[in-house]
Amino acid sequence: MSENPRDLGRREGAFEREPARRVFAAELRECRYQFKDGEDEKSPTFVLLPTGERCNRIFLVGTLTEKQRQGDQNIFYRGRVVDPSGTFYVMAGSYQPEAMQQLAKIDTPAFVAVVGKPNLYQTPDGAFLVSVRVESITIVDKETRDLWILDTAERTLDRIDMVTAGTEPDVVKAKEQYPSIDVNAFRKTVYDALAQIRI
Amino acid sequence: MIRTDEYLEMYEMDFSEAAERISRKFSQKGTEVDPKKIESKLRRLVDEFGVQPSEAERSVTNELAKEFNLPSIGTTGGKSSGVADQKKIADVAPGEWVTIEGRIVALSSPASPAIAQSGIIADDSGGIRFVAWTKSNAPVMAAGSWYRIESAVVDEFRGISSLKIHSGTTVKESGADGALIPETVPVVNLQKGIGCIRAKVVQEWDASHERMLQSGLLGDETGTIKFVIWKEEGKEKLSIGSVYNIFYALVDEFNGRLSLNLNTATILQDDGTIEVSGGDMTVRGAIVHMAPGSGLIKRCPVEGCNRAISRQNYCPVHEIQPKFIYDLRIKGWLDTGEKTHNILLQRDVTESLTGITLSAAQEIAENNPLGMDEVFLRMRDTVLGRYVTCHGREIDNRLLANTCERLAFDSGEHAALLNRAGGAL
Repeated sequence: MSENPRDLGRREGAFEREPARRVFAAELRECRYQFKDGEDEKSPTFVLLPTGERCNRIFLVGTLTEKQRQGDQNIFYRGRVVDPSGTFYVMAGSYQPEAMQQLAKIDTPAFVAVVGKPNLYQTPDGAFLVSVRVESITIVDKETRDLWILDTAERTLDRIDMVTAGTEPDVVKAKEQYPSIDVNAFRKTVYDALAQIRI
Repeated sequence: MIRTDEYLEMYEMDFSEAAERISRKFSQKGTEVDPKKIESKLRRLVDEFGVQPSEAERSVTNELAKEFNLPSIGTTGGKSSGVADQKKIADVAPGEWVTIEGRIVALSSPASPAIAQSGIIADDSGGIRFVAWTKSNAPVMAAGSWYRIESAVVDEFRGISSLKIHSGTTVKESGADGALIPETVPVVNLQKGIGCIRAKVVQEWDASHERMLQSGLLGDETGTIKFVIWKEEGKEKLSIGSVYNIFYALVDEFNGRLSLNLNTATILQDDGTIEVSGGDMTVRGAIVHMAPGSGLIKRCPVEGCNRAISRQNYCPVHEIQPKFIYDLRIKGWLDTGEKTHNILLQRDVTESLTGITLSAAQEIAENNPLGMDEVFLRMRDTVLGRYVTCHGREIDNRLLANTCERLAFDSGEHAALLNRAGGAL
């Protein structure tokens, strides 16, 4: 579809940064399909959300509950960031030195805002895992966490509505890739997340 | 310069047209020549011998004129009576042979020894770029004078038409004279080629090249456009906030955006004012990146420069400037989840968003082992990952913010979303 701003963004020379999508952990966890947009080595990789949106980058806010330093030669940090619906697995390695230092400095537990790139892995026993390679991580306050829940709730509801109407190519592809997922189930995820905000 | 293969590509479609043109000339004299035959002659010259298409058209015409003993059709000797229709400059189209009459409104230094003169010629309908090949032996034309140019070829490169004066073209000083008062067009209607506008200088940018005299943004009630002036004798900078009538600027396209090159343009300052429109917007989102070059920066103190300079106090134009001026800014990305906006916050906006004033920032930099980096890090920790509302003007996907404030939790919104999510459960 030519209306898709992404298509315009890919136009020769006109750089457009990939937006950071808002998604709850419970939805991201369901991702099973990852693809490249283009043949080029540097073409961006996208994870397709069950609600029919491709994401190359995500923005999330939650509680960093655990972090671990791993590796000898190549040191990297893993962390768990929890939102009302589940857990995001984040990591930062020596290729993201700034992100790694930021993560290393933060003491758990803390509210954190993370910008990063989701990657889909399959473990040897066949299970899928989405991990987020951190571009930046900063300590934030509870209000920012609550704002993120509102933001992500709205975006998720918009996407659910879009799937229901559903003719966009990515929506069609999501229906193909996730035949057993009823996206309406995510309404409950959204409701429960919103209900966790105490006024 | 245009490479041969580009030439061929550009002209690939024109053989049959050119053949038709030649055939028409002969049929006017009562001689029928099969256009297919003409076309194959043209193709042979261009494809096999690499002859320029305009030259091929001329030589095939001459060959046939000789063959049918019709010397009046041949273009040798310059008697090109009625070879090409006289047209208004605005009406010429690529691929045509034309005769025009116009005034040389700009001359630019030729880019190659193969070019004798290049510039812009205009009549009351508009202007067009022209190139006079050295091989054409055309008389030297003077800026401001009127000429009749017979049998020139119009070609096109990257969507911009240009008039080629070749050895078959006749250039004569024309009787016409007098000033031309070009009509300006709204900025939003500018097209590739030549443009005349009345606009205000709304921004001035750091020069990205040492040959660049000035670059920035011009705007009128309908929109804005990038402009550049290259260093050249007699060229002066435009002053920010002033309104100018700009005649015969080159309109080019880079990365899908139009841009004005003012080196060829006649520029007249205007006492009027313009309300520049467009780009006003409010964006609500999260700051997902704070770019290097944010925080406490140094600027060049030379009057009218004000460029951000390096930590070693090096200005790209004015070299080492130990008496730099400190400033604050934040460059980064503001992300709505649908689109990412490049944002630029200037000193006052940066101060109110971060709570760090310029003097506080200087103090931090002076009393800290990390120096200016410490300011960057503190600002990053205060703004990164935060939700803000930015209001300002967006140009070329960069939002220049007049205000940027932290977003506050809205319980009404919360309730509405709960209803929306719960309604279908």
